[in-house]
Amino acid sequence: MEVSFALTGKDYVIVAADTTAARSIVKMKTDQDKIKILSPHLLMAYSGEPGDTLQFAEYVERNIRLYQIRNLYALSPSAAASWIRRSLAESLRSRNSYAVNLLVGGFDTTTQEPHLYWIDYLGTMTEIPFGAHGYGSYFALSLLDRYHDPDASLEEGLATLKRCIDEVSKRLVVSPDRYKVKVVDKDGVREVEL
Amino acid sequence: MSRSYDRALTVFSPDGHLFQVEYALEAVRKGTCAVGVRGKDVVVLGVEKKSVLQLQDPRTVRKVVMLDDHVCLAFAGLTADGRVLIDKARIECQSHRLTVEDPVTVEYITRHIAGIQQRYTQSGGVRPFGISTLIIGFDPHDTRPRLYQTEPSGIYSAWKANAIGRSSKTVREFLEKNHKDDLSRDEAIKLTVKSLLEVVQTGAKNIEISVMESYGKVTSLALPEIEAIVAEIEREKEAEAERKRSRLAATAAGQAAMSLRAGDAGGTSGQ
Amino acid sequence: MNTLAEQFSTTSALSKLKKTQALLEDEEMSDAMWGSQAGFGNVAQGSPSFAVPAVPDPSAFLRLHTDDRADPNCKIKIQHGTTTLAFRYQGGVIVAVDSRATAGSYVASGTVKKVIEINPYLLGTMAGGAADCQYWETYLGMHCRLHELRNRERISVSAASKYLSNLVYSYKGMGLSMGTMICGWDKTGPAIFYVDSDGTRLKGDLFSVGSGSTFAYGVLDQGYHWDMTDEDAQELGRRSIYAAGHRDAFSGNTCNLYHVKEDGWRFIGNYDLSKLHYDGPNNVPGAGYGYDIRIAGRASALQPAVAAAA
Repeated sequence: MEVSFALTGKDYVIVAADTTAARSIVKMKTDQDKIKILSPHLLMAYSGEPGDTLQFAEYVERNIRLYQIRNLYALSPSAAASWIRRSLAESLRSRNSYAVNLLVGGFDTTTQEPHLYWIDYLGTMTEIPFGAHGYGSYFALSLLDRYHDPDASLEEGLATLKRCIDEVSKRLVVSPDRYKVKVVDKDGVREVEL
Repeated sequence: MSRSYDRALTVFSPDGHLFQVEYALEAVRKGTCAVGVRGKDVVVLGVEKKSVLQLQDPRTVRKVVMLDDHVCLAFAGLTADGRVLIDKARIECQSHRLTVEDPVTVEYITRHIAGIQQRYTQSGGVRPFGISTLIIGFDPHDTRPRLYQTEPSGIYSAWKANAIGRSSKTVREFLEKNHKDDLSRDEAIKLTVKSLLEVVQTGAKNIEISVMESYGKVTSLALPEIEAIVAEIEREKEAEAERKRSRLAATAAGQAAMSLRAGDAGGTSGQ
Repeated sequence: MNTLAEQFSTTSALSKLKKTQALLEDEEMSDAMWGSQAGFGNVAQGSPSFAVPAVPDPSAFLRLHTDDRADPNCKIKIQHGTTTLAFRYQGGVIVAVDSRATAGSYVASGTVKKVIEINPYLLGTMAGGAADCQYWETYLGMHCRLHELRNRERISVSAASKYLSNLVYSYKGMGLSMGTMICGWDKTGPAIFYVDSDGTRLKGDLFSVGSGSTFAYGVLDQGYHWDMTDEDAQELGRRSIYAAGHRDAFSGNTCNLYHVKEDGWRFIGNYDLSKLHYDGPNNVPGAGYGYDIRIAGRASALQPAVAAAA
């Protein structure tokens, strides 16, 4: 029952994902980080088929890093998201495709704008003010329609995220108990405690 | 795909030489000079920068590059060949992280680069890389600075201090004379600059210095800093020359006095 | 083959293999030739390979002949039932496993070695397909040795497990069945990685794998803490395997116990689970792990007042 959320606010993007690694009915691990820091201003939350998720995320991570070492500057969030989507879409038609759902959040240092992209395992990509993957989306999307504010401060944004997490804990049958939350803004990426 | 004899360019001469490889070394000798110095817990790379033309953007000319967060490379020889080799090395650095999770060790990436260079001496239809490289860095979970060199033949070796490129022999001899173990950061930088000044006549503006102090901590010295060091070295040289001159004068005076006294003594003994 | 992107764009093992071979034919400069891929992959033309049935869909073929639940008369019966566990604590790593192999409802063997000794510093456990685990973990051992020879230092547990994980991931969907823990000691201290045939790879302090894992977790989680003594840790491992052997029909017979320390692993012993039930590890009648043995002489019933007074 993987859950991930992301939302933008005034000059930042918050990305949150649960931390459980489950296999059948057993929680194998409860502190797994499912948000990769791809570059100084770029985050990616991943969920989906076990194995594919990490394999794809690490592959993306290394390529984005390679780009930065080669060119001495990092890809912009929109460029990175497009590249990630394309990689996923190309693998889709191969024998063994990556079944991975992603939320890519970043801060564009050239335009000083936060960006959030929702990408699913079929290669659909859309830029959104907030989004979710997994069962959490059934609860959180309506909630965010009601409460999300693109102009909100970080504290307000985190409070809205807290609403999503609380709602999922309240209503979802098997809900994760721990989340990892990361924020990206003009100062870069950092982890926050809720 | 043709697999005929004409694809092989690098072939032995009857007396066991690979001329193409030796010519590649010649290309290295024509390249600008690069110096690496290993200190106690620091390692320094210094390169001679070619003067850029008036309308050229100097930022596009780079001779010291990062391969990964913790490995830095300088090369001497054909710049275009260097670019290709560097890109291969960078890919390997990321590939290594992807496959074994750990960053590369300095020796590993050196061996990899030397491996590529060796391959180009033994494959058909290619020519060797016309570059030698100096690779500095720190291994993960380790505090010892590393300095390696690779050559067009694919030889690689570890050094305390070394030079490649133009007049590298002179610089290496200078380093052999002046290198001490356990150099401090400032001493290592100074030795690097000093040794480069052996071949760079134009001074600070044609010198580029990169310093690595610990895992992933790399700084490139700004021009004023290098100028200050060059000025300091000049001052020391001046003082040294001054001392030499005065010592010479003193000895000359002493000798003169001695001979005078000797003359006196002779005079007296003769009495 | 210039970017990571092209090198890794397709994940299927077959296409990878074909690509490697194509590279070797087309271009004599493939990375595999002179040992790239982080020092791996010089053997068997750069890419590990095993024969795949010459049918359009190997996994369906394999399922048809191995799924004993759907067809009890299937030709190949893969061993499934197992309990394996490993945990990390102050004094190293404890690895404990049972020794029963079942094929359907039949106990095929009671003396299976489910700990695979990869090298003096690395252990792998076996759950799922016995052959898959045995073959690939031995293969892993070979590559660990090559890594040692190439890099003049022992492979980290992280790197070894990652190698195995990448390997099985390249065969994903082709019928491999493995759930293994790679345990060992490296520069970073004791380490455990869980690797399975989905391609999952998790670093952790405590894992249990197999049909009896839930039973083992029940005892293990409650008794575990980081600062245990060596004796307590070994006892916890034994007791957890006993618990699973007792409750899970597909686990049992004996328990094999290993302890990994800084200087490598050591085999502690083989314990008969029935003996553990009655007499405990030290063969003291009445000191067994069994519930009945443990509670002998105690009861929930209120003692009659008269009897108490008398």
